[in-house]
Amino acid sequence: MPVTERERLAAAGRAAGLRLSADDVAALLPAWKRYLALVEQLRAAAAPEDADGAG
Amino acid sequence: MAPVEALASAPLVQIARSLSRRQASPVELADTYTRRIEAAVGLRAYITLPGERARREAKRAERRLSRGEIGTLLGVPIAVKDLFATRAQRTTVGSRLLRDWVPSRDADAVARLRAAGAIVFGKTNLHEFAYGVSTANPWWGVARNPHDPRRSPGGSSGGSAIAVVAGLCAGALGSDTGGSIRVPASLCGCVGLKPTFGAIPLGGTFPLGWSLDHAGPLTRTVDDAGLLLDVLSGGDAGRRARRASTRGLRVGVLQGPIVQNVQPGVARQVDAAAAALRRRGLRVRDVQIPEMEWTVATQLVTLRAEASALHARWIRSRPSAYGADVRARLQLGALVGGADYVLAQRMRDRIRAAMSRVFREIDILLLPTTPITAPVVGERTVRWRSGEEPVDGALVRLTAPFNLTGLPALSVPFGAAAGLPVGVQVVGQWNDEARVLAVGRLIEEEAPP
Repeated sequence: MPVTERERLAAAGRAAGLRLSADDVAALLPAWKRYLALVEQLRAAAAPEDADGAG
Repeated sequence: MAPVEALASAPLVQIARSLSRRQASPVELADTYTRRIEAAVGLRAYITLPGERARREAKRAERRLSRGEIGTLLGVPIAVKDLFATRAQRTTVGSRLLRDWVPSRDADAVARLRAAGAIVFGKTNLHEFAYGVSTANPWWGVARNPHDPRRSPGGSSGGSAIAVVAGLCAGALGSDTGGSIRVPASLCGCVGLKPTFGAIPLGGTFPLGWSLDHAGPLTRTVDDAGLLLDVLSGGDAGRRARRASTRGLRVGVLQGPIVQNVQPGVARQVDAAAAALRRRGLRVRDVQIPEMEWTVATQLVTLRAEASALHARWIRSRPSAYGADVRARLQLGALVGGADYVLAQRMRDRIRAAMSRVFREIDILLLPTTPITAPVVGERTVRWRSGEEPVDGALVRLTAPFNLTGLPALSVPFGAAAGLPVGVQVVGQWNDEARVLAVGRLIEEEAPP
């Protein structure tokens, strides 16, 4: 079970069929973290509208 | 200076007029540009030089002109970004993967230029696969800003902007997925127009993000952009812009967090452009569009997913055939989940609705094209009081919202900051290029020398 962000990224890369070396993963990690933070913003911004439509 | 030397640096409209009146020779003009390109090879504006093929086209144009034939662009040399397919001419898309691709047909936009009589004058350098805004191309050379070769021209249509500003062609064709026409226009100091989504057909144009891609002109003047827009779109917005009244138009100057981090010298020029429009009889006021704070995330998710879908096979089978930055973007894009993409499209609808509401109260939105002037080649971050921002993110922060919404947006040079060009962005309602161009003309007239 991947526990660190680096391990999660490596696992996601494998699942997507990418050939990522350890160096690739290390290079991608900062951008991956920025990406996750931005997606989290989108989820938070969309949340109230989702609740309106519930049920 | 020989007349053809001066003409070669003149606005495209003037070049087309001189050629049609047979006051200048297309062959002499083409030879002049070719000499200049050879002298400016260090700027890395071109991937494929115009060469003998363009000279043959110029000779053909000269024969047609001597027979009294007419054509809006007959004999006018237009540089074409190397992601538009050109029949029987290499089209690399700035990549190693497609370095030997020779298309069997012209892209629709190229076909329209040719139908108007234009000469396809070489294929210009771009960021690899148009996926970036530096034009630091690992396969075809690092493009340089003609104002200061230590600095970036921006991208991805960097070669097209260089060719226009350095006087290496009469005008150029570019594409814009997050700002790729307007960013290099702003950093190099020329006009760049991204029209309404779909206004110029994209058949035969190598895609980057299907729902974000636009084609458009880069030129020395706003009227030049209008002329090329009319040829490329088959419409008449450029012609209408030249006689449109602008008095009383409602202009909103964008305020709010998205324009908080702008270099002071850039902000001063945008304020000066707004003041100039007020003097010319337009009604200018501040506007806020809070939904724009989501555009960075929405654009990122949308583009990452769309570009990676296109490159799905190659990024898995031949990752080393990409440059490092593009490879990383495509690999990250392969990890974008379907739910995240859907979420981004829902946010996109909200941003579009917000823009639609704002445009009930204004006719034109005014803002900087880029919050910074041309960065030094290789510079990675911009420092603001509030923290650091990646240079590539900063460069598209104010342009990408109009790829998401498809609104027409024009970058017009207006003055300088620390000796480097500043671009002011003029945005209009969907399909209202005529008013965008008309206001752009005023800004051009009022620009400091």
